[in-house]
Amino acid sequence: MAARDTSKPVPFASAARGVFDLALEGMVWSGRTVVMAGLLALPVVLAIVYRLVLAKYPAARLSPLDLYGRLVVFFYLRFALPLTALFYATALIADEVEGKTLTYLLTRPIRRESILAGKFAAYVVTTLTLALPAVVVTFFTLMTVSGRANLGGAVPDLLRDLGVAALALLAYGALFTLLGVFLKRPVIPGLLFIFVWELFLPSFPGYVPRVTLTAYLRSLVRHRPAQEGVSEIFAQVLPTALCLEVLVGAVVVGLGASAWIFSTREYVMDQ
Amino acid sequence: MSATLEFVRASRWYGQVIALNDVTTTIGPGVTGLLGPNGAGKSTFLKLASGQLAPSQGEVKMLGRAAWGSPELFHRVGVCPEADAFWEQLTGLEFVTGLLRLTGYDEAERRQRAENALHEVALLDAKDRKIGGYSKGMRQRVKMAQALAHDPEVLLLDEPVSGMDPVNRRRMVDLVRRLGRAGRTVVVSSHILHEVEAMTRRVLLIHNGRILAEGDVREIRDLMDEHPHTVALRARDPRALARVVVAMPHVISLTFGAEGEWVTVQTARPDELYGNLAEAAESAGVSEMYSPDENLESVFRYLVAG
Repeated sequence: MAARDTSKPVPFASAARGVFDLALEGMVWSGRTVVMAGLLALPVVLAIVYRLVLAKYPAARLSPLDLYGRLVVFFYLRFALPLTALFYATALIADEVEGKTLTYLLTRPIRRESILAGKFAAYVVTTLTLALPAVVVTFFTLMTVSGRANLGGAVPDLLRDLGVAALALLAYGALFTLLGVFLKRPVIPGLLFIFVWELFLPSFPGYVPRVTLTAYLRSLVRHRPAQEGVSEIFAQVLPTALCLEVLVGAVVVGLGASAWIFSTREYVMDQ
Repeated sequence: MSATLEFVRASRWYGQVIALNDVTTTIGPGVTGLLGPNGAGKSTFLKLASGQLAPSQGEVKMLGRAAWGSPELFHRVGVCPEADAFWEQLTGLEFVTGLLRLTGYDEAERRQRAENALHEVALLDAKDRKIGGYSKGMRQRVKMAQALAHDPEVLLLDEPVSGMDPVNRRRMVDLVRRLGRAGRTVVVSSHILHEVEAMTRRVLLIHNGRILAEGDVREIRDLMDEHPHTVALRARDPRALARVVVAMPHVISLTFGAEGEWVTVQTARPDELYGNLAEAAESAGVSEMYSPDENLESVFRYLVAG
């Protein structure tokens, strides 16, 4: 048996891993997961319907690639991924507080930051597991409508989309984790952020779109659909390096601020 | 007595509400009962002691360190919270081993320790069942197991026997007493006097956020015995009983219950009442007797008013 150093908290990585294992099962097998899995799989259903319809009407105007691009940009990046991040990440600590189980974690010799790290890691694994397969299945369902001849050329775009989806979940997740540790009721502000801030500011001229995460995420998508509405942002595709810097920065700042708040606040007042 | 836990002029308020008010006390090895009615401040006291809350004013020290912001203390401290809250999808064994992992034990040791702790609370047979399917008493015991499993020097137990059946309550009381005898510092909160009395004679009386008294539980009993005491008696012939009782000089009042069989007596000297009752009880056919004053709330009302 290895001797434990009882003068210090359990090492960060070991503690975070322990919290991750405790959190993961509860996060995966939850009602929230059923709802979010259904939401993220909607494009798969749409892709299947498209296949069936296209088989009957070969002269359809919307190409499979075009539809796929629209689903990635409009459905996943603008709607489903931010919403998934909102409902999981704001609940990371709130669920433990409401369920009164936070006490068990707070009365262990571990730093509070490791609790947050473990929970966030569980969030990332859960949401990636739900979202990425849905994107992949949508892609293959649509791109094989006319056979597999053009599939090879589009696969790099799929890989890029998967990377952007992962970045979206990380960046929105960090932001909503911050909301969750800061506010007692973070869902309404989060919804306003997704459906007001992220939806309308990208349509503003000049530098205004740069205060949204959407601007950077959509700039990273290569196969933008031909028509994206009135959004000005599509006229200004931001450099990839800048996008990565900003998105990674959002993750670091969001998680850093969340860790600081969580480690200094009291959370068991009502228990 | 060496101080394991020390409160120095510690206060805690939530907004305008004072939960704990200027508390100074030290607690050392052995079992200490934290006794008070619901809402007295017992849970706040334990949350301050376990560093889950910071004092608004004053100091709270556990094992010589500030309780707030010292997570390393939990290598040596075990906490059994009051709330009936769990990750319901886990089995009892997974729950205890998962928390032992966060205490830094390797896989083999955490399994061994978890099984020992579950055995200690008589849950070993149910270790592979999900906590969601446990009875109230089993849930209470698995909560106790996670507090014990890392063999801590200090145990903070918030209403640990609440919801347990008499057999397991007895077992838990014995366990707490054993831990106290082994030199552990055990702080047990309860709002039931006889529950605490079964575990220890050292108590802290807490009421409205203040430590009202601390010392031997017998002194509390003495205080109880001096305050007007109510006894309810069920008799075959309540009128005969009333005739005897009302003649006793220490009896303050007597009332008949609505159902006709019950007589409620208020006395200034409960010991004399109990002594004098033997003869009357036989002639009037007393079949049941209880004291509503066993409720702590009435003791506190009396002490505070006095």
